[in-house]
Amino acid sequence: MIAINDLQKTYDTGSITVEALRGLSFNINKGEFVAIMGASGSGKSTLMNLLGLLDVASAGTYILNQTEVSALEEKDFARIRNKEIGFVFQTFNLLPHLTALHNVELPMMYAGVKLAARRERATLLLERMGLIDRMHHYPNELSGGQNQRVAIARSLANNPAIILADEPTGALDSHTSLEVMDIFQQLNLDGTTIIVVTHEENIAQHAGRILRLSDGLLIMDDIVQEPLDAGQALSSLRKEAGSI
Amino acid sequence: MNIRELMVVALASIRSSKLRSFLTTLGIVIGIAAVISVVAIGQGGKAMLMQELEKFGTNLFVVYVNYQEGETSRPSDLQVSDITLIKNVVPEVKYMAPVCYTQMKLRGSQGQKTVQLLGTSADLVHVNNLEIAQGRFLNEEDESAGRQVIVIQEDTAKELFGSEKPLGQRVVIGSTSSMVVGVLKQDTSVLNDNSRQSAYITMSLMRNMTGWTYIHQIYGSATSKEAVDTAMERTKSILERRHNAPGHYEARSMEQEMQSANKILGIVGLVIGLIAGISLLVGGIGVMNIMLVSVTERTREIGIRMALGARRQDILIQFLFESIVLCLMGGIIGTILGYGGAYVVAKIAHWPPLVSWWTIVIAFLFSAGVGLFFGLYPANQAARLKPIEALRRE
Repeated sequence: MIAINDLQKTYDTGSITVEALRGLSFNINKGEFVAIMGASGSGKSTLMNLLGLLDVASAGTYILNQTEVSALEEKDFARIRNKEIGFVFQTFNLLPHLTALHNVELPMMYAGVKLAARRERATLLLERMGLIDRMHHYPNELSGGQNQRVAIARSLANNPAIILADEPTGALDSHTSLEVMDIFQQLNLDGTTIIVVTHEENIAQHAGRILRLSDGLLIMDDIVQEPLDAGQALSSLRKEAGSI
Repeated sequence: MNIRELMVVALASIRSSKLRSFLTTLGIVIGIAAVISVVAIGQGGKAMLMQELEKFGTNLFVVYVNYQEGETSRPSDLQVSDITLIKNVVPEVKYMAPVCYTQMKLRGSQGQKTVQLLGTSADLVHVNNLEIAQGRFLNEEDESAGRQVIVIQEDTAKELFGSEKPLGQRVVIGSTSSMVVGVLKQDTSVLNDNSRQSAYITMSLMRNMTGWTYIHQIYGSATSKEAVDTAMERTKSILERRHNAPGHYEARSMEQEMQSANKILGIVGLVIGLIAGISLLVGGIGVMNIMLVSVTERTREIGIRMALGARRQDILIQFLFESIVLCLMGGIIGTILGYGGAYVVAKIAHWPPLVSWWTIVIAFLFSAGVGLFFGLYPANQAARLKPIEALRRE
């Protein structure tokens, strides 16, 4: 699904050039749950932006669904971001003057889905996220966890093959973080490829594979033998809460 | 995105900063209101002037002597007998009256008044569309019998005779006295300076009083609007031949007067309209300025939209549409205010507020055009943002 070979990214800020990625190579197959880890400045966010077609590489190849990305035009980028990739951000990136429902509708609007159809799908997605009674609320009326679930619903709007999540739990407490990871694990079970960028080891342990970056280089590519089960952790937490 | 969705997005964003949107659009409101009211007042004034001029009769023409420098009037320049001849030989001439005028003080039983005294004939009532309030106008017999009669205006009658009935009263002019046979309705036209009153006597009486053997001007009226030019030309050529003086006479029709008045008013209107239009330009610059600020402020929103699949053209259209909607709202409010202003002015000045449908259409198109023109640059700035840089901006 994703094939990367010697990917490089250099930022040229006039006087100094920063080599954010110094030649990365790896593949990600369909249906994988991958965590990308690294300290800040390791290049993991840069990699995320390249994978999400928000930015273009300086050198190297990136093949997404058998297509060499560098051969594509800007409008193809927009289409791929719209239909094939779902983004989840650390700060949610919901539009503040739109309700949860309208935020979820947004990608479908750009995909040209008719109003009735997209309202139906957005409602369905919010229901799946347990937010049916919050769908007419604005982001500032929702908690962080609720906002992140709205954002996940939005990322699923056009039924993408890949979810790209950049520090999705970074702004959440441990309990809501578990909830988010639970949703990702369930989506992954349904066949969606999940790529999560995180600096938290316990979050990364929910993935099936961990790519570790350091100074713009891939230093480790590990399979997680026994990924943590967020759903199980949540239900045991609930039991504890119930017994008290 | 279709128009409806663009509209929703634009309105949502305009609503999200109400005060700013209002202030931004105020420039357009004032610009459009200024243009609309200026055009409406101008058009109303013009229509009113034309209406007033038409009251004098569109078939009207005036013949006068075209004096060259150093020339003085000769008794033979224009004669009453000329009129008799012209009326007989020019079928296009329906009515024709001689006119001599002088300033005179009239004295009545209750007061006195200085008026413009006109020596003329019975035809003038038709030529000038005079409206009679009481009695009658001068007639042929007054002239032939040399009757000492006078026709005055309502306001003059009040000054001279107070509340007394004017008909049959004596008016003293210098050493002679005349009887009032008719009272003309006071002309309410804005063109008429009501402080200046006119009174009418026969040519023979005028001749007796002043010793003039010639007339100053000839007022004529053609059988139809189309016949005016022919009537004028033939009158002129008869006068030239009869007095053996080529180029000595000039004639102007009401039609020509109206056309030149129209032209002058048109130019004045255009100039004022252009000045008003400048305020629209200033308003447009205000819109552009705020749109640029808006693009900067909403960089992150643009980044998010791009990440969710918005193409550059989607962003461009979104901001362009917002600018157009903002300006159109200003256009609508401005049109209402402008029309209201024109209406008030028209009420005060007693003329019709004329806002033609094309003025409104142009105002709408123009405000949309201002939105398009001044929105294009900011919208393009927004569309050219790189998604990653836009997303990173706080």
